[in-house]
Amino acid sequence: MKRKNRLLKISALGVYAFLYLPLLIVVIYSFNDSKLNAEWVGFTWKWYDKLFNNREMLTAARNSLIIASASALIATLLGTLAGMTIHKYRLKLLPGLVIAPIAMPDILMGVSLLLFFIMLNMSLGLLSITLAHITFCIGFVALSVQARMSNIDRSLTEAARDLGATPWQCFRKITLPLLAPGILAGALMAFTLSIDDFVITFFVAGVDSSTLPLQIYSMVKIAITPEVNAISTLLMLLTLILITLVAKLSPGALRS
Amino acid sequence: MHTSAWRKKLISQKCLGLPPLAYLLIFFAVPTVIMLFASFRYAGDYGGLAPWYYYEQGSLSFDLTLENWQRLFESDIYLQLFLKSIAYAVLATLLCILLGYPLALMIARSPRRHRDLLLLLVILPFWSNFLVRIYAWMIIFSPSGALTHMLNSLLAVFGIAPISLMYSPTAVIVTLVYVHLPFMVLPLYANLEKHDPALLDAAQDLGASRWRRFWRITWPLSLPGVYAGSILVFIPVLGMFAIPELLGGTDGIMIANVIKQQFVESRDWPFGSVLSMVLTAAAVLVVLLGAKFGQQLGHSR
Amino acid sequence: MKNLLAAVALITVTPLATAATQLHLFNWNDYIAEDSVAAFEKSCDCQLVQSYYSSTEEMMAKLLAGASGYDVVVPTQNAVQALIKQSFLQPLDKNQLPNLKNSDPGFMNRSYDPDNTYSVPYAFTTTLLGYNEQQLQKLDIATNDWAVIFDPAVLEKIKGKVTVMDDAEELFGAALKYLGYSVNDRDEKHLREAQQVIMKAKPYWAAFNSSSYIKELTVGNIWVAHGYSSDMVQARADAADAGRDFSVNLALPKQGAVLALDNMVIPKDAKNKALAHQFINFMLDGKVAAAVTNEVGAGNPNAAAAEFIDAEIRQQTAIFPDAATLATLETIEASGSKERRLLNKLWTEIKVK
Repeated sequence: MKRKNRLLKISALGVYAFLYLPLLIVVIYSFNDSKLNAEWVGFTWKWYDKLFNNREMLTAARNSLIIASASALIATLLGTLAGMTIHKYRLKLLPGLVIAPIAMPDILMGVSLLLFFIMLNMSLGLLSITLAHITFCIGFVALSVQARMSNIDRSLTEAARDLGATPWQCFRKITLPLLAPGILAGALMAFTLSIDDFVITFFVAGVDSSTLPLQIYSMVKIAITPEVNAISTLLMLLTLILITLVAKLSPGALRS
Repeated sequence: MHTSAWRKKLISQKCLGLPPLAYLLIFFAVPTVIMLFASFRYAGDYGGLAPWYYYEQGSLSFDLTLENWQRLFESDIYLQLFLKSIAYAVLATLLCILLGYPLALMIARSPRRHRDLLLLLVILPFWSNFLVRIYAWMIIFSPSGALTHMLNSLLAVFGIAPISLMYSPTAVIVTLVYVHLPFMVLPLYANLEKHDPALLDAAQDLGASRWRRFWRITWPLSLPGVYAGSILVFIPVLGMFAIPELLGGTDGIMIANVIKQQFVESRDWPFGSVLSMVLTAAAVLVVLLGAKFGQQLGHSR
Repeated sequence: MKNLLAAVALITVTPLATAATQLHLFNWNDYIAEDSVAAFEKSCDCQLVQSYYSSTEEMMAKLLAGASGYDVVVPTQNAVQALIKQSFLQPLDKNQLPNLKNSDPGFMNRSYDPDNTYSVPYAFTTTLLGYNEQQLQKLDIATNDWAVIFDPAVLEKIKGKVTVMDDAEELFGAALKYLGYSVNDRDEKHLREAQQVIMKAKPYWAAFNSSSYIKELTVGNIWVAHGYSSDMVQARADAADAGRDFSVNLALPKQGAVLALDNMVIPKDAKNKALAHQFINFMLDGKVAAAVTNEVGAGNPNAAAAEFIDAEIRQQTAIFPDAATLATLETIEASGSKERRLLNKLWTEIKVK
């Protein structure tokens, strides 16, 4: 048993290395004083400097934050309602519709939403991106809320009802506070997903609206300078903080 | 009194679920239907779609066509492309199982207090930006990078001509696996942690070897987790375009690349819609098959 | 109280003021001199907001999918034709463009926009081959020939070191020229011949690349790239600046190539039409126009710019074709929807197989 454990441990560590090494390379080279990502020349902050002076990048970052905040807010509202409904009642349609955007390949959603917006003669921009993001964020919030709800002790609410509380009071004083970590976790996940989304945004973004992933994509396609490494490192840092928060708030949420 | 309370509950149930239901119907179900409809229209002269009805001299005439669907079956190149994309997805899935299983198993067997941290470590790379993960491999595979140099010097020892890792199906597959690995690890772990260690102890007492214990007990019990993870890897991989586009060169193209090309470069939205519908059908099929398999396994316990 | 009102008024008015003086320019990548941008911003006391595209397809797709908010766009001549047809463009007010007289008459009044009602020439490029001089010399490959990217016998020596443009019209144009046809030939038989040429060469190419080939050439990952003359000039400069042990050069294939004449146009829904005219007039000034050539390496249709252009650029026929070379160059014409569908179909087949 011991020998197998060691073999298992080594192969598992190998996979961890496989997961993290590439990202480490990106981070390290963001400090490399060379235009190419080939050899190490020297330490420098200049790529981060260039980044903060890059007007397009800053606009894209601003757009990403606006979209992510709006999407997270609305998706959390709708997703919480959905999560609670799915948990309480045996429905067929809602769970399907909630899970489908997550299960289907992104490109299908991107393309169909593009067609939808164009048919409505809607101009593509921050609004179209936000609407698109909400669609796939609802699912994550719903799953998080639902997972949390199944962990809440039913007897608490039953006891409250027995003592004469109305359903609304019950919800406000008991269910909601207990649900809060799940809701918050869902909101944070929605925010992170929105900031990171590439494929769907690619199709529904208008002309003036660039988001961080779209910016990175055009930089990667056109001129790969270590500025890309710098923005990547910053994004990873942001995600790290957000996801650690989620993990602290609601450990079960991430697994779903 | 009982019925009015019951009706109240029904109404509140509907009210609760209505907003998200409405939103998803409008922004998910309807666009999908529109995509299906678009596959029967003509492409606009300069992008977009041509109008589907004309109102001439007081009569309504429709301008729809089956031509886009016909084009799909005209030659077998699209079938080949789908098969190739499916092959890539299958390969990526198998590699994910190969790499992800030891990891999931180790986490499941670790002391309880370590598990959350280990899981978090698996999830973190996944939550980093998708393009960043692709970009990392573009650096690694770069023809002027260290890995390629090392590989080629090794090959030179055997007298083999230098190769380029970049712009190849290999690069695409490796990156596909890298990006989707966490999707395999999590469901597998969720399954493995529920295994009763008593079963393995009993088998050991009965004299079964390590390998036999794994193969006869752990593996079969973990199959539902394997299937769940496989679906979570297979479907997104099938719909990938960014990875083949950035790393695939002229050869490693997948179906989503052609879809993207129709919408962006070629501006043939109807044909793009046709291909998208086929991809949707394929994804739905896989999900249904997977659900069926999962059920069967559940029943045979 | 009065001071407070004044302060509030100032705060509410100022953002509006800055918002009004923004000019949105939609242009090719790396197609304007940085100094010109700064000089214009200074002269108009406004902000120049730039968006880029790397292929005509991308630009058309964005504009006609409903993108709005651009004041000046710089499309190539066939795109101008298409945009005019779609009633997308604003007729130019020649009174606001006194510098129009600087434009070389040889590039004016062309079939795509007679009388230059909607467009004014900006710069031109040719689509040709950029290459790593040392590597190709070593392999003894003649560089002024499309065979470099189409002939399997030649490609064998440079396998995996070649990129071609990810653009149907450009690549087919090159293949058609290689076969001796016109770049605008849309006869199905000829197009299929061109498709065959492309398919035979495809296994030897590293990738279809319209955007990062400058970098790939400069770094040395790629030895031959099919792309725009202005990009190749930049690659040449970049390689020299980086102190590489090889040099990059460009060559116009003898069979002829595609000439792209880029123009400045104003969309109908532009927000700052007066400012747009001011910008166009600014760019028509001889010295400013010359900056585009000197910095970007594009050909110049501005007669007054000639005296400001660097001598060595002026002499390179790949950038400034002489009469004989000019005869082999053709502009791409906008094709009808049926021809476009055929071309798209063949292009998709190339990508898929």
